[in-house]
Amino acid sequence: MISETHKWKVAQRASPQKLSTSKGIFQLGRGILIGSILPIILLIAWEIAARTGLLAAHLLPAPTIILEKIISMYQDGSLFGHISVTLTRVFLGFAIGTGAAVVIGAIVGYAKTAERLLDPLFQAIRSIPSLAWVPLFILWMGIGEPSKISLIAVGVFFPVYLNIVAGIQGVDRKLIEVGRIYHLTPYQLTKRIILPAALPSFITGMRSGLGLGWMFVVAAELMGASEGLGYLLVVGQNTYSPDTVIASILLFAVLGKITDAVLKWVEHRSLKWQDSMTNQG
Amino acid sequence: MLNVSRLKRTFNHDTAGFQDINLSVKEGEIIGVLGTSGCGKSTLLRVLSGLDQQYEGTISIENGSNNQIGMMFQEPRLLPWLSVKKNISFGLEKEERNTEKYKTYLDLVGLTGFENHYPKDLSGGMAQRTAIARALITEPEILLLDEPFSALDAFTKMQLQDLLLSIWQKKKTTMILITHDIDEALYLCDRIFVLKGQPGEVYSEVSIEKQRPRTRGDGYLSKQKAHILHLLNVEKKAAGEHQ
Repeated sequence: MISETHKWKVAQRASPQKLSTSKGIFQLGRGILIGSILPIILLIAWEIAARTGLLAAHLLPAPTIILEKIISMYQDGSLFGHISVTLTRVFLGFAIGTGAAVVIGAIVGYAKTAERLLDPLFQAIRSIPSLAWVPLFILWMGIGEPSKISLIAVGVFFPVYLNIVAGIQGVDRKLIEVGRIYHLTPYQLTKRIILPAALPSFITGMRSGLGLGWMFVVAAELMGASEGLGYLLVVGQNTYSPDTVIASILLFAVLGKITDAVLKWVEHRSLKWQDSMTNQG
Repeated sequence: MLNVSRLKRTFNHDTAGFQDINLSVKEGEIIGVLGTSGCGKSTLLRVLSGLDQQYEGTISIENGSNNQIGMMFQEPRLLPWLSVKKNISFGLEKEERNTEKYKTYLDLVGLTGFENHYPKDLSGGMAQRTAIARALITEPEILLLDEPFSALDAFTKMQLQDLLLSIWQKKKTTMILITHDIDEALYLCDRIFVLKGQPGEVYSEVSIEKQRPRTRGDGYLSKQKAHILHLLNVEKKAAGEHQ
């Protein structure tokens, strides 16, 4: 009984979406442009200040010197080695931490008894500053890879865990009732309603977990490593070469940003359905 | 088709909910349940749908299978991460979920071309249309409607009431409609149960002996409306005297 005119009206209402996509890219480009004005000015000022001797070169070398340092590391082949070692540690720690958080978080979020049993314990452990684990992990596992990866995993675990539990417990009761109308089993209910509904906060947890992962890889590599970007920091400090230290800091920043961008992209891809500010239009 | 006897579900020491509800619904009937807020009409639907199991009395449904009851809520309750077509197919068994079955129902509710939209891109009326399609695709014996149009604007509401009637013409689905809108009940229903009291009981049953489609504001319907208003006013007076 819907008239043709009505159909046409609904169809028209939904169409302006396409227009805004190209506009969005334009705005994104403009955003990057505006956002990079200040950093570029600072870089130029820094370069000039370092060249004219306004800044002591043995404390803060010019940006070009730092860039040269990175290029020379690239040329002698050590750059790739350091980056891949650090990336592997972060990745393994992140995977283990996230995996554990998903399993435990899902159980705690879903079953009230598990929550009463486990959550107080995890909340207590969470209040230990994660760096306090360093000596214990070294005692237990030595200064090799296991202690480093464990430390990163511990750091990643908590934000992911907390967000999963909150996400699952925050699922709208009204949507769960929809599942119950269709007689879904608990497994189906989890898979088809609870997990998708908790996905946004899970991804938020992963992003803050990844941030902590990068923080802890620095700590882990400072405590004793023979390779990796954190090791470069130590080398730079011990050999009085601030260019190495700053180059390493710069690489941390770039890698952290790239890995976060990957997660952000995943977030955007999988949360297109969300009715949020960024999805407007 | 559906028989309910001595059904009772109360809360807060028998001060809310409903009690002593007896009704029998014939196949293809559209039943209205009218009442002021707090008389337990939504609770009645939750009990009938199986969402609330803490009731006393009996509910019996003929030729009972598992997916015999469909439900529409006051809000569309679409799953925001699923496109319109996946929302419509939600209640189907796994094998059927990825088939083209949704198309019939998409067309039925007039959303052709919107199958890949997400709920956030739908207007309130379109979302409720999607919810109608989702409730119908499992071909329920009885469709329960809990104030399904009360959150919509007046025009969309009328359009969707007509849509519901056109679906009824095609499928002859038995429906139980909870509403607080007397005009809506008069326009759609064969019989209207007026609930009163706390906990609510069936106070009166009004039959609408008029062929569908009906004309809104028709003389006969107006008379019935006056009658129902009178019933509800009596309830008010009675409650006043009681205090």
